[in-house]
Amino acid sequence: MKRNIGLLLVLLLAFGLLAAQCAPSAQPQAAEGPIKIGFFSPTTGFAAADGTSALQSAQLAVSMINDAGGVLGRPLELVYYDDAAKPDQASAIARKLIEQDKVVAGVSGSYSGATRAAAPIFQEAGIPMVSAYAIHPEITATGDKIFRVGTLATVQGRVGAELMGNVLGAKRVAILTIDNDFGVSLTDGFKAHAQELGLEIVLEEKYPLGETEFRPIIGKIKEAAPDAVYATGYYNEAANLVSQAVDEGLEVQIVGQEGYDSPKFIELAGPAAEGVIITTDLNRDSERAATKLFLEQYKATYEEEADMVGASAYDAVHVLAQAIEAAGSTDPSAITAAIAGLKDFEDVASGPFWYYTAKREVVRPVSAQIVKGGAFHLFHEFEDVALVEAK
Amino acid sequence: MPFFQNLSNAVVLGSTYILMAVGLSMVYGVLKILHIAHAAVYTVGAFIGLLVFTWFESFWLALLVAMIASGVMGVLIYRGVYFYMLDAPRTVPLIASIGLFVMFTDLLQKGFLMGPYQQALPAGGAGLPSFQTGLFSLTSKQILVLLVTLVLLVVVYLLLTRTRVGLGWQAAAMDREMAGAVGVDLNRVVALNFFLGSALAGAAGVLVGVYNNSVFATMGDLPSYKAFIIIVLGGMGSLPGTIVASLLLALVENFLVASVGYVLPRDAIAFLVLILMLMFRPHGLLGQE
Repeated sequence: MKRNIGLLLVLLLAFGLLAAQCAPSAQPQAAEGPIKIGFFSPTTGFAAADGTSALQSAQLAVSMINDAGGVLGRPLELVYYDDAAKPDQASAIARKLIEQDKVVAGVSGSYSGATRAAAPIFQEAGIPMVSAYAIHPEITATGDKIFRVGTLATVQGRVGAELMGNVLGAKRVAILTIDNDFGVSLTDGFKAHAQELGLEIVLEEKYPLGETEFRPIIGKIKEAAPDAVYATGYYNEAANLVSQAVDEGLEVQIVGQEGYDSPKFIELAGPAAEGVIITTDLNRDSERAATKLFLEQYKATYEEEADMVGASAYDAVHVLAQAIEAAGSTDPSAITAAIAGLKDFEDVASGPFWYYTAKREVVRPVSAQIVKGGAFHLFHEFEDVALVEAK
Repeated sequence: MPFFQNLSNAVVLGSTYILMAVGLSMVYGVLKILHIAHAAVYTVGAFIGLLVFTWFESFWLALLVAMIASGVMGVLIYRGVYFYMLDAPRTVPLIASIGLFVMFTDLLQKGFLMGPYQQALPAGGAGLPSFQTGLFSLTSKQILVLLVTLVLLVVVYLLLTRTRVGLGWQAAAMDREMAGAVGVDLNRVVALNFFLGSALAGAAGVLVGVYNNSVFATMGDLPSYKAFIIIVLGGMGSLPGTIVASLLLALVENFLVASVGYVLPRDAIAFLVLILMLMFRPHGLLGQE
């Protein structure tokens, strides 16, 4: 048995050497054929709904770009894997995309934890990566190759506080935070700006991911009697929260954020969703041609409504395509520089993207949407650069 | 007065635990198998309830069909899998059971079945009224959960105490071999036991689906271990113990969250209660030493 293993090792080594010799030179990708873009999102596991939406939208972007003639006269190819929203899988996938598939750039269509695990691998390899909707601050802090399309969590939290204090005129607020990267960083941004606006925080609670029973916490909120509740969470927690709030007779404005932004939220919460206001990157009532095109094409292709997660993944692919075109090459450093230099980019569903900051955060309007008649509609648009630019 | 509101909410939550855990406790009582796949039966029950409700828009029909289908599924799991492992070490059916649970969950998540999304099950309160007093209020959905749980528990109680096969079940739960030796038809008893226990799990799936207005492929993950905590708390195989433990756990969870907030996730609270119980009363609340 031992001898067999030895033999196997020798064979493996021989193949390895052979393969190394046959491998093309340092050139990361052939100058002909499709331009490869790496992509990962959770298409199985608890986050499968978001991951599927992101993947479908990225594929839609690629096919639309290819139908219009591709980039630099070459078609784009999306190389994608399922990371199940797990950091260990995401880092293995990042290595595979870079080393085996030789992608020129990457898009994360995954959650913050998985995206944070993949980012350093792209950074070290010198390959640019764009995070679609993972909004934890640490992601872009990884290094100069890592960009973001979604609005940074702390900025979105700040916009949430602005919405409550200056648009809705609330004075006393309660905060309900989902206890993960996403929720905590949103709440950090919210609290910082709430303090500047002089809002009084009358209650602050955290709850775990996947919670379905909010009744005891709603009882506490009722006793604290706030003017409004800032509640972070994803569509399933949000649907339970707002339904149970109605059941328990909690009659205050609930303000959410992009985690609610899915047609599933309205389907699950039903009439209880009416009047809920969220901050998000996708304005469904937008008159912009690029936004309308995405919403129509997504519906036509997949026979379901698009969401913010999908729009962000779609936009991440468009940002890369635009950067490759502007760079005039598939050289990763040239692509990186072109993303950083992006100005007033209109071909994105959640745009326009005005510019990237030195810390690789996109500056763009943030939308507040209200649920009315079973659909998200525009409530307020925040375009003040001082408010929406990451500090 | 939030105390009574929290109390009534906790009893409703506890009722959903009861249906799930009683079925599991019944299976454990006779075969001593840790039947993790019980949670898959729960999910399949919810899924079938969703399908029937979508087609016929009747909660009661959905509940009935889901219970029968879940019961049949339970019997098939027993006859197709556990039956061949009755004399094997108890880890063998346990591992088979975990495998079954993972398989069903992954299968259900495929696009042609449930897909990755949560689906709404908007049965509301099935036409029942809501109830309000000065002390607390119950929504029609909550009344539905309480009513169905109560009726099913009474039916199970009558079946187990007033019928021959029920007495056979009690005998088998005390000592399977001895019961077989004195003429109890073990195959029939065990099959009925699986049918009944699984039908309860299916009912739990449909009720939780309606209560949270959401059915999804991974909804069994939480009950897969929480139901075990409950039957250990109750004293493995004791049905009254299981009922008391379900209510107690829901009360502890809700009152802890309502008084001090989420010091721990609710599931961690459940494990904490379990550890305390194992330290101070290892045979459970109503189990025999």
